[in-house]
Amino acid sequence: MSTADIRITAEPIDNGRCKFLVSETLHAGGGVRRFASVEEAQGSPLAEAIFAIPGADVAEVIVSGNLVTVVKGSPAPWPVVGKAVGQAIRAALAGARPAVAPKPVAAANASDDDALYDRVADLFERDVNPMVARHGGHVELIDVQDAVVMVRMGGGCQGCGMADVTLRQGIEALLHQHVPEVKGVVDITDHAAGANPYFAAAKK
Amino acid sequence: MLLPTATYRAAAFVEAARRLGVELTVASERPSTFQEANPAGLLTLDLAGLEKAAGQARAFAREHPLRGVVGVDDDTAVVAAAIASELGLRGNTVAAAGAARDKYEQRTLLAAAGVPVPRFARHRLDDDPADLAKRASFPCVLKPLRLAASRGVIRADTPEQFVTAFGRVKRILEDAGCEMRDARSMLVEDFVPGSEYALEGLLTGGQLRVLALFDKPDPLDGPYFEETIYVTPSRLSHDAQRAIAACAQGAVAALGLREGPVHAELRYNERGPWLIELAARPIGGRCSGALRFGTGDPGSGAGASLEEIVIRHALGMPIASLERERCASGVMMIPVPRGGGVLKEVRGVAAAAAVPLVEGVEITAHPGESLAPWPEGSRYPGFIFARGETPAAVEAALRTAYGQLGFVLGAA
Repeated sequence: MSTADIRITAEPIDNGRCKFLVSETLHAGGGVRRFASVEEAQGSPLAEAIFAIPGADVAEVIVSGNLVTVVKGSPAPWPVVGKAVGQAIRAALAGARPAVAPKPVAAANASDDDALYDRVADLFERDVNPMVARHGGHVELIDVQDAVVMVRMGGGCQGCGMADVTLRQGIEALLHQHVPEVKGVVDITDHAAGANPYFAAAKK
Repeated sequence: MLLPTATYRAAAFVEAARRLGVELTVASERPSTFQEANPAGLLTLDLAGLEKAAGQARAFAREHPLRGVVGVDDDTAVVAAAIASELGLRGNTVAAAGAARDKYEQRTLLAAAGVPVPRFARHRLDDDPADLAKRASFPCVLKPLRLAASRGVIRADTPEQFVTAFGRVKRILEDAGCEMRDARSMLVEDFVPGSEYALEGLLTGGQLRVLALFDKPDPLDGPYFEETIYVTPSRLSHDAQRAIAACAQGAVAALGLREGPVHAELRYNERGPWLIELAARPIGGRCSGALRFGTGDPGSGAGASLEEIVIRHALGMPIASLERERCASGVMMIPVPRGGGVLKEVRGVAAAAAVPLVEGVEITAHPGESLAPWPEGSRYPGFIFARGETPAAVEAALRTAYGQLGFVLGAA
């Protein structure tokens, strides 16, 4: 496949965050990699290239399957930064090395994250998922990296107009109460693909 | 934050509050499944009942003090006013916010204050349309008193078209469940020729600060009034822009609005500006994504969203700048494909997003969703955003991107 065949769709969340949906898988295996610094990006060509975009002040790159989430500090608009991200994605897919290296087994915070993962998983099983199930939804705990929880929403939550309320006022609030060591929650859901959202936006 | 469950704006407002570090309570008309787990952050209010909602908010505030209240659409703007009044928070009076919501009451107050509005009359749904048509002047526009997004707004050029449009608006109102006393009527007003503009503003102590003036380059001549492209800055002359701002300021004063966001729709022709609608809320849909504030100059900040400005204003927080960014910006509300139907697939999204100057393509309709064209419909299947050096370049980019999209629909 040539890089011209790779389709990338940008979905800005706000001026600081943007999701890029890619027609090809960037990080296989169902896992997720989060890079919070240039140092962490070393060894993963995609993350290295995105952190190197001039003037973007990239703060975070999260890769899961065919989804790349980029967080930047620069006020530069996404049309400018997004095109550079697209080039980075195409170059990484065309390269000889995997676009994203496997998660290091001996990461410095791995044991902390593993412990957090277990506690967050318990909370999801005990509280979060029974709650969202009442609206036909479910929330999958993808990973915990550097105390940041990554989730993917499904069912009635995927594409729901109130998904952000559920995420911030529900899930994040519960995490603060029960697992206060968690530093943040990142939603890697492809909400545009949600076929059965519980609340669909209908008003101008 | 009053967020009805059907709003497009939850993500933008919730993220804005998060960026500002504001402790947020989200109130909706239906309970969140997390409400018991986070009783300070989630609240259920009767958004259809002002007094009840205000009482519920007062009871809530006894345990969880509130510093500000924000409504995000026409209805919650009135509820926010009731809560602000009940709790002594910054906001509009219920009378002013209510007048902005009701098209007949709004026009009555505007006309009395000398604000240029089309000639108008209110008719009951059980009036005889044939009789009304004999007395109507043409062309005219029939519209519901409250529905948003130009839903149910139809132009009629002849008595025959009037009778047909009357029946159609009536059915739309009945389908929408508008059984309230004040919704058993509709408005008929003169059609005002001319180009249309949208003004986004912020009120402080009754003074209007224009945040942005959008051109609507596609003619909105009917028979239906589905919106498409908004581009700012306006290409109107400075004199015309000043006249529009003065018209909006007059309208704000006539309704008695004093605080918070306003969104106005105006027409401009050889006789000057005409106020078509004024709402005590920010711009609708996802369109606020076309606005960013702060020029990047020292002290002006850069990249603040409209939602951040609205929250800061409600809470009395300092606002670094109300200057819009320097580049031109625009949004296209993607039209519902002719005939409508059930959405199966949207093709060409990547190609549309790859058009130079296009910043994003957001498809908000979900697969399997039934898309109804105007005037029965009111939901755009998505939005395209672009930024560039000039309004003309932005407009061209939006049109090119739209041309890349293909909607695959099935039978409804």
